[in-house]
Amino acid sequence: METLFDLNLLSSTLRIVAPLLLAALGGALCARVGLFNVALEGMMLIGAFSAILGNYLFGNVLVAVLFSCLCVGVVALLFAYLSVHLQANAIIVGIAINFLALGLTAFALFVIFGNKGQYYDPNMKGLPVWHIPIVKDIPVLGDLLSGHSPLVYLAFLLAIALQYVVYRTVPGFRLTAVGENPSAAGSLGLRVKRYQYGAVLASGVLCALAGAQLSLGQVTLFAENMTSGRGFIALVAAMLGQNNPLGVAASSLLFGFTDAISIRLQGLALPTHFTMMLPYVMTIIVMFLFKDKAYLRQSGRIGGQ
Amino acid sequence: MSRLKRTLFLQALLQPLTAIVLGLLVGAVLIAAIGGSVAETYAEMWKGAFGNSFFAASTLARATPIILIGLGVSLAFRAGVFNLGAEGQMVLGALSAALVALHAPGPAALKLLLALLSGMLVGGLWSAFAGWLDTRFRMNLLITTLLFNYIAVLFAGYMVSFPFKEKGGSGGAQTAMIASDVWLPKLLSGSTLHVGFAVAALAAMLLALFLRYTVKGYEIRMLGSNPLFAAYGGVRRGRVMLLSMITSGAFAGLAGTFEVLGTQYRYIDNMLSSPGFAWSGIMAALIAGSNPIGTAITAILLAALQTGGMGVERNTEIPLEISNIIQAALILFVSAKITFTFIRRRKARDADGNAV
Repeated sequence: METLFDLNLLSSTLRIVAPLLLAALGGALCARVGLFNVALEGMMLIGAFSAILGNYLFGNVLVAVLFSCLCVGVVALLFAYLSVHLQANAIIVGIAINFLALGLTAFALFVIFGNKGQYYDPNMKGLPVWHIPIVKDIPVLGDLLSGHSPLVYLAFLLAIALQYVVYRTVPGFRLTAVGENPSAAGSLGLRVKRYQYGAVLASGVLCALAGAQLSLGQVTLFAENMTSGRGFIALVAAMLGQNNPLGVAASSLLFGFTDAISIRLQGLALPTHFTMMLPYVMTIIVMFLFKDKAYLRQSGRIGGQ
Repeated sequence: MSRLKRTLFLQALLQPLTAIVLGLLVGAVLIAAIGGSVAETYAEMWKGAFGNSFFAASTLARATPIILIGLGVSLAFRAGVFNLGAEGQMVLGALSAALVALHAPGPAALKLLLALLSGMLVGGLWSAFAGWLDTRFRMNLLITTLLFNYIAVLFAGYMVSFPFKEKGGSGGAQTAMIASDVWLPKLLSGSTLHVGFAVAALAAMLLALFLRYTVKGYEIRMLGSNPLFAAYGGVRRGRVMLLSMITSGAFAGLAGTFEVLGTQYRYIDNMLSSPGFAWSGIMAALIAGSNPIGTAITAILLAALQTGGMGVERNTEIPLEISNIIQAALILFVSAKITFTFIRRRKARDADGNAV
């Protein structure tokens, strides 16, 4: 057991959690205003690609991350326009955007970098690693908390900040009100659509950060479909956390931990197929234990007009 | 009344057509943006999809699993159930069909029959399990079916990498080749088009008749369009939903089975997930508004876009992903279109003076 659980495991958990948590917070914000954002996966993928592209174009990591936010922001606007403005079924739009992201990133990968499958540049600088001044010298805590990319810290700070915004500020209450009962919120003079647009845009930016952490965090690399279902896991994390930012952080940590263990287990004799299954199986078990109250209302009905 | 029906029919036809035109327009803009020739690219796309009888046959062969998955998904959608698990259902169906075709005793015809049945049964049960978790434990079906995909694909990958891996073969993760007398017959000799296509086309017609003229079909439609009214009318949600999930999964399982028995003659790891059959099927159902005949036609259209995309990649500088983008643009336009009619209808109601 000692080879399985150690500080490294917890530290890599934090790293794996960051993109998941960022995207899940985005999903939670959308759910608060009554939109089920299935497009997290696609938005994250576009974020990952545009971060690499920005880095390639501008040679500056900060500008690259901002560029990524801009690109995904445009996609989020498309999502908002179709699902809020034109009232299209958000789930259908989400599926389409996931597909669009797969096609667009692979297409752009080939057109811009002339590559198929993946793009890797060892000379390109990724996100910096931050060592927190005092914390890094504390024996155990230092190894655990220090030495991550800024986006890892940002993810957790954002979870705390959003918790405050949602439960302690007027705009936060309004956000929830819009999702609970749009017509009642509208009759009180709230600009329902404006809140919905805002939430979708915010989730776009959060997914962009999530994608940037994926592609620029450890290595500077983009691979086709590199999000590989993380967006959907983020969706589940948001749901399990009852769209409550700290709850979302807790459920994201759980998935990150399972993921870290599954990577660790691959070193043992177990076939990788089963270790890779672990996060998905874990998700289902946790879903079984925690019920989602908003499900029936949000998943909605569809099809045969 | 008949005039109204005709307008409705035209409208139903007009929507996908407009979406197709707009989708192709988006593709054209992208092609022009990277300096390709739009006319040449689309000409290559057409040739790649229907240029000669060989290409046309491959397009129809590729459409076969998409039609079947689309039909299954549209049945579930009609019942108001969001089944996104077609991929896993298809993969497990295909795996079990391959294993039964390899190991079942008896004459070839019996093996073929058993393989078909087991493919449908396993796909149906895997789907019903997610449905049961929803009816019994209220677990979000959208998410369970999605997660079940990953589990199924990984499980199938394990089965063909270890216990049932081809012995002494090329070393890839795949089962042994099925004996040639258990293969599905070809529709067109020398091509990849097999009997499965005819079955899929027939299934589309039967499903359309089933939904329209049978009591169960009426219950399914009612459950999907107005669950409260359906419950009031005595439709038991749980039972109808489970039934739709089983049937929907069986369709997906059959799609995978046909790929094994008609095209590859073995189960190869990722043979069904990398071409994206499941998502194409879901898209076909969405674009066609869950109309079975429309789903079949859209499936052929999507397959044509995909085989056409391969033609484009073979003969021009444009990568094949252009067809993915066109497909995505297509659904985006269709999803918005649905709403245009909805808004129009609501406006008309408001004008009548009986707005809510």
